[in-house]
Amino acid sequence: MKTFEGYRRTNGTIGVRNHTIVINTVGELAGLTKKLANLVPGVIPVVHQAGQSQYYEDSDQTIKTLAGTAGHPNVCAALFLGMGTEDPAEGIVETLKKDGHHVHSIIFDKDKSINECLKEGKAWLENELERSKQQKTEKADVSELIIGLECGGSDAWSGITANPSIGVFSDSIVADGGTSILAETTEAVGAEHILANRAVNQEVCNRFLEIVKRYEQRARAVGEDIKAANPSPGNKTGGLTTLEEKSLGCIKKGGNSTLMEVIDYAHSPTVNGFVFMDTPGYDVESVVGLVAGGAQIVLFSTGKGSPTGSPIAPVIKIGTNPKLYENMPEHIDVNAGKIIDQNYTIEQIGEEIYSKVLEVANGEITASEKYNNQEFSIWRLAETQ
Amino acid sequence: MNYSFKGYKRDDGMAGTRNYVGIVSSVICSSAVVREISDKVSGTIPIVHANGCAQLGDDFKLTRDMLIGMSSNPNIHSALLVGLGCETNQVSGLLKRIPKTKPIKGIGIQQLYGGTNTIQKGISIAETWTKEATEQKRIPLPLSRLMVGILNVDADQDSLIKTGPVIGEVVDRLVENDAKVVMGLSKTLEPAGHLLSERIVDTTEREKIINSSKGLQRLRWKDPATVAKDTEFTEEELKLAALESKMTGSVPIKGILDYGEIPKEIGFHMMNISSNVVESLSKMASSGCNVVLIVSNRGVLTGSIALPCLTVAPQRDENSFDELIDYTIKGRNVDEESDRMIEELLEVCSGKQTQLEVLELGEFSIPHLGTTY
Repeated sequence: MKTFEGYRRTNGTIGVRNHTIVINTVGELAGLTKKLANLVPGVIPVVHQAGQSQYYEDSDQTIKTLAGTAGHPNVCAALFLGMGTEDPAEGIVETLKKDGHHVHSIIFDKDKSINECLKEGKAWLENELERSKQQKTEKADVSELIIGLECGGSDAWSGITANPSIGVFSDSIVADGGTSILAETTEAVGAEHILANRAVNQEVCNRFLEIVKRYEQRARAVGEDIKAANPSPGNKTGGLTTLEEKSLGCIKKGGNSTLMEVIDYAHSPTVNGFVFMDTPGYDVESVVGLVAGGAQIVLFSTGKGSPTGSPIAPVIKIGTNPKLYENMPEHIDVNAGKIIDQNYTIEQIGEEIYSKVLEVANGEITASEKYNNQEFSIWRLAETQ
Repeated sequence: MNYSFKGYKRDDGMAGTRNYVGIVSSVICSSAVVREISDKVSGTIPIVHANGCAQLGDDFKLTRDMLIGMSSNPNIHSALLVGLGCETNQVSGLLKRIPKTKPIKGIGIQQLYGGTNTIQKGISIAETWTKEATEQKRIPLPLSRLMVGILNVDADQDSLIKTGPVIGEVVDRLVENDAKVVMGLSKTLEPAGHLLSERIVDTTEREKIINSSKGLQRLRWKDPATVAKDTEFTEEELKLAALESKMTGSVPIKGILDYGEIPKEIGFHMMNISSNVVESLSKMASSGCNVVLIVSNRGVLTGSIALPCLTVAPQRDENSFDELIDYTIKGRNVDEESDRMIEELLEVCSGKQTQLEVLELGEFSIPHLGTTY
């Protein structure tokens, strides 16, 4: 039995980090959110520019993502900053409180000055940060882990070294009762038949094919070809020639397990096992969706070297080739390039990834955490009104 | 009256009201590195955003053009572009398109083998430029070197009655003195398109504004199968828009700017904007504005990262966020109010900090016109 030491939450979930965060509901408050976080060292600002004058599809997605982030098992306490009479902060906080989360909202409005709001926020955060330091970890089984699978800055080695190794890990953790989420719908284009064939039933199969088709349609509707943005310039210099080729390599991260479920952006899996989340191939937005859906850790393969992370979840970088590891070791946690120049097998790197996941779950800091890579952006579905 | 202000003269005919070294990320992936460089070198501003990769068509072009516009903004003394390397929005592509009227350089994390090297390199370039920037002195300049953005935020009928005529007079006077003025055409003003069209000479431009008054037209792409319908404006919206249109003064309207378009002519322009304050201020900055008047009865909680934003509010019993207001319209006669407001504006252009600058509140954001991939 594989275990790790985590932070148990009131609602039963378990975190691998114990963060206190402050988060804005509308872009206008991003500056004040950062200002407030700076007043209490140790508090992480989660800032974005969404939330204002959005159509309902976007405001729903924003609220879902923010609630998923604040109610995440890696988060010990979350303070929302909102403004105006129709702000969603109070509603989100009320829902999260029912689930036992430590959350609070401050609404900037006419009745209070900015300084009063900041003072109230500072006091709440200091108190919660102190409380988080008192919390003890407890032993938990890996079946309680949800691992997001992502790639960014892929090259021709991605589908040969890092992604199949992540696939080996994914199959192992699924066999151990845990959950892995593959994402990036655009990077299933051209390889969708392979995953569809692994669906647990016809419904999941159809749903999966539908989200892939819809993404292609989105591009065609505006007269564009999805294959013009993907592969990116860097993918091409890395040796990838077509989207199909990139996709075939991308889905290797999902190993060979049965596809249990297809979930929407920022939604949580309802079953354990291997699942797919409908996200863009844009890595940062995809990671934000995976984490908001409950992934405590994200595995991220990279061939060109991408430093990005998440404000609340450790992101483990898996380098695809030896040259990358030689040039940019500071951004790489696992070197899958050893398959190329040191006779390691895909299975061995898969095992190394599993060990790394457990070490990180136990508190080991990843490269993206070390360099404060806290990128956060929500996938948009419409123009701002 | 002969107006002037003290600014930093630029080679492209404009003037800086501020003199920042801009550290610009080409993609979200280099934003942490950009922040780090900017934190270490005072006199710089971090121009970071959430876009730059997995984008197509107009959505990508808007991101690219806004970053070109920001780097070219007259308040930016010099611009250091920082990329990752593998992104859609390549630094080389930006460098090719930015007019060469100021120091511009590009560096990339992958080319320099990691964030640590990139930060070091960035700091050394930024330090050289901030030194040059501090040595530059403000000199008296005419208003023809100013481009004033005007953004109306969340106004109700009561405040529009107070602010409309005064802002309108300010617009007329600025234009008479050869300044460029750019007023935001947001969904609250769009219903007045017909009214405003009478002041537009160019037929194509006139069509654009008449078209926008037909109803709210914005792109939606979640479900490509359903076609988004325009929402017609209500009577109430039409009424408020007519009041808001008073802010545009009486000068001719040269045209409607879109997608980070930079106005070439002196005079009064309108700009398509959204109701998102940060997006709108960012569009104004990318189009070359060097100062903004924010008109709001509530006080806006952020400004632009690169432009001084002077907040104007009508006098009210309960003034929200007093600490954000730079100028209160007290109901004196229109001439007197606009005199004082322009005086305040020119002081800000000459270096006086706005309340938002004192509080160090400034953001940048690029809107989306399509899904990321």
